[in-house]
Amino acid sequence: MENRILHVEDNPDDVVLMNLAFSRAGIAARLHVVNDGDEAIAELEKGARGGGPPVCVLLDVKLPRVSGLEVLAWIRNQPNLKRLPVILLTSSSQTTDINRAYDLGANSFLVKPPDLDALTQLVKTVAHYWVQTNVRPVASM
Amino acid sequence: MKIAKLAINDSVQELVSDLEEPVTKNGSVAGPDPAKKNGVDNGKPIGKLNSKVNILLVDDRKDKLLALGAVLAPLGQNVVEAHSGKEALRLLLKNEFAVILMDVSMPTMDGFETAAMIRKRPSSEHTPIIFVTSIGNSPAQMYQGYSLGAVDYILTPIVPDVLRAKVSVFVDLWRKTEHIKQQAERLREVEEAEHRRRLAEAEDKLEAETKRNRFFTLALDMLGIGDFDGHLLQVNAAWEKVLGYSEEELRGVTPDKLVHPGDLPMILDRVQILKQGLPVEYFELRCLHKDGSYRWIGWTAAPFPAEKLIYIFGRNVTARREAEEKILQLNGELENRIAALTEVNRELETFNYSISHDLRAPLRSMSGFAQALMDGEENKLGAQGSDYVRRIANSAKRMDSLLQDLLEYSRVARASMPPTKVNLDGVVNEIVTLREREIQETRASIDVKSPLGIVTAHLPTVQQILANLIDNGLKFVGKDRSPQLRIWTEEVAANGSSGEKPENAPAPVPGHQRSLRIWVEDNGIGIEKEFHEKIFGLFERLHPSHAFPGTGLGLAIVRKGVERMGGRVGLESQAERGTRFWVELPADTGENGFKARRESTTPAN
Repeated sequence: MENRILHVEDNPDDVVLMNLAFSRAGIAARLHVVNDGDEAIAELEKGARGGGPPVCVLLDVKLPRVSGLEVLAWIRNQPNLKRLPVILLTSSSQTTDINRAYDLGANSFLVKPPDLDALTQLVKTVAHYWVQTNVRPVASM
Repeated sequence: MKIAKLAINDSVQELVSDLEEPVTKNGSVAGPDPAKKNGVDNGKPIGKLNSKVNILLVDDRKDKLLALGAVLAPLGQNVVEAHSGKEALRLLLKNEFAVILMDVSMPTMDGFETAAMIRKRPSSEHTPIIFVTSIGNSPAQMYQGYSLGAVDYILTPIVPDVLRAKVSVFVDLWRKTEHIKQQAERLREVEEAEHRRRLAEAEDKLEAETKRNRFFTLALDMLGIGDFDGHLLQVNAAWEKVLGYSEEELRGVTPDKLVHPGDLPMILDRVQILKQGLPVEYFELRCLHKDGSYRWIGWTAAPFPAEKLIYIFGRNVTARREAEEKILQLNGELENRIAALTEVNRELETFNYSISHDLRAPLRSMSGFAQALMDGEENKLGAQGSDYVRRIANSAKRMDSLLQDLLEYSRVARASMPPTKVNLDGVVNEIVTLREREIQETRASIDVKSPLGIVTAHLPTVQQILANLIDNGLKFVGKDRSPQLRIWTEEVAANGSSGEKPENAPAPVPGHQRSLRIWVEDNGIGIEKEFHEKIFGLFERLHPSHAFPGTGLGLAIVRKGVERMGGRVGLESQAERGTRFWVELPADTGENGFKARRESTTPAN
C-alpha cells in the first residue's frame, strides 16, 4: 500500500528539499504537493470522495491566502479527518504560532532546520512515528 | 414702735374728756419709748420699716398725743409724734407719712399754717392731713382747713373706732400707693435692665461687625460685595494681591472688564442666576491681572435678594490649574509616546516575524541545496568545488544562527516575562536530554547536584539562559580534553551570606529576600579577567569563529534575560582553568523550595 503524504508548501525550494530529505531518509512514501491552503482543503475533500485521506499532512504555517492554521482548523472540523495526523512546519522558532497550533489540534510542530542533514533526520523521526508506527486512521472515526 | 397697752381705754377716756383743756403739763416725754423718741428727734429717717406705715401725730399737748397714740396702736403702724408744727415740718423733711393727724390750735404755728407749709413742699404736697379739732370751731375754719389741703376733720372728743377707721383708710391708701410706687420702681428697674441689655447687645453687634470687618480686611481669599448688575461695590485687600488692581480701581467694575472673554458667558450666566436669588455652585474662571496676564480664580457666590447684593468669595487657584494643565499636557505627550512606542513595537514585531520566516527561507535553500550538491557528487565538483560548496553551506548555517540569536535577543529584551515557579531540575534535564548526542560524541559529562531548587522567573527565558551557559561550557573546551560540567545551586540570603562563599562573591540581588545562585562550571579554556565584563556585550567574541563557532550573542542574551527577570549574572574564571558562570534569580520561598533542597543534596548524574 502506498503511503501518500499531503505536503502543503508554497516555497518550491522547500518542496524540493523535502523530497530530497525523504529520499535521503529512505522513506517509502509519496509526497503529494499542493501550494496553498485552498488547494489543500480541495485535495482533502477530493480524498474523502475516493482514494481516502493521506497518511499524514505536512502543513506549512505561512501560506498565501488561507494560512496553515486555518487549514488545520478546517481539518479538525471534518468528522472523518479528526484523527488525521497533521504536522505543522514553520521557519520560525517563535512560540506564539506553536501554542495556537497545539490549541487547534496539531499533532506535531516542527521548525524547519537550516541544513539538509537535520531535515533528513527530522523526516526520519516523523515518518517513523506518523507513517510507520501510527495506525492508519479509519475514515469512519 | 409699740405703744404700751396699759389702761389704754381709761387713758383714751381721759384724753377724750380732757381734749378741750389746754395742755399745761410739760410734755417732754410723749411716748413710752424714749430711745425711739430720741431717734426720731435726732432726725434719722424713720424709714419705711418693712411693712409698717408712718403716721404723724402733731399736737402741742402730750396727753392728747398719748391718747391718739393709744387709739392708733391697734393698727400696728409706726406712730410718730411731733409737739409743734415746726417739729412736724422737720420730721416731714426726712420721712414719708401715710397720714398726718394735726391739731388745729397750736401755739406759735397753728395747724393751718403748718398745713400750708406742708403743702408747699413738693415731697409732702400730697400727704393727707386730718385736722383734729373741737366741735366749737366754725364751719369757716373748716373750709379754711379744706382749702389748705386737709382731707378730713375729726372732731373731739374722738370716737376711737372712727379715728382708726379713717386712719386705716389712709394707711391702706399709702400702702397701695407705695406698692404702686414699688411696682413702678421695679418696672423702671426692668426697663433699665432691658435698656442695658439692648445697649450691650448693640455694643456686641458693633464689636462683631468690627471683627467681621477685620476678617474682610485680613482674609487671604478675595472677598467682595457686588450688586445685582454685576458691579463690584466693595472688595478686600486680597484682590489687589491677586489681580493687581487697587480697591478704588475695582469699585464699580463689571465682569466683562475683568473676566477672560472665553469665560464671560459663564460669569454672566451665574449673575443671572444670582439675580433670581438662586445659589450657584463653585466655578473657576480666568481673570485679567493688571499686568495683562490671567489668573485662575475659583469662585463661590451667594445672593441676598433683600439687599439686592451678591456676596462673592474668590480664591487664586492658578498654581493648581497650571499644574493640572501641565499634567494634562504631559499625559498627552506620554500617551503619544506610548502610542508611538506601541507602534514601533508592533512594527518591530512584524519585522522580527518576517525576518524569522522570510529571511531564513532562502538560507535554508542555500544550505539545503549545497548539501544536496555534496551528496555523493564530490567527484563531479572536484576537491575545490566541494570546498566552495561546503563554505556556502556553512555560511548559510552561520547566517541562520545569527538571525536566530538576534531574534532571541530582541525577544528577551522586549517581551513581557510573566514569572512563574520554575523547577530548575526540570529545565536542566531537558537541556541535557536535547544534547544527548553531542554529549556522547564529545564524551562530555554533566554533573547536576540535584535538587537544584525552584526560582520565580520566566520559564522560556530561564531555559534559554541555562541552555546558552551549558552550550558554552560544552563548546569552549580545548581539543585535548572532554568537557566536564558541574551544575549546582546555592541559597543567597538577603545579607549576602552564602553557603559556599565563593571568591569575589557579589552582594545578593537587592529587593529580594532570598535568591538562588545557579552555578555552571566547566573545565574549558577559561576567560582572562580583563574580558569578564566584555563577554556579555553584543557580538563580542574572544575567539575566531573557526576555532569556536558562535554568533557572539549567547551571553548577551543571558545577561539581558537575567536582568529582565530581576536577577544578576557573573563569572569566575582564569585562562586555561575553566570558568564558573553564576546566575542569581529570585528564589521561590514556598513549599518545595529551599527546604526541600536543604534536606537532601544528593548529587545526581
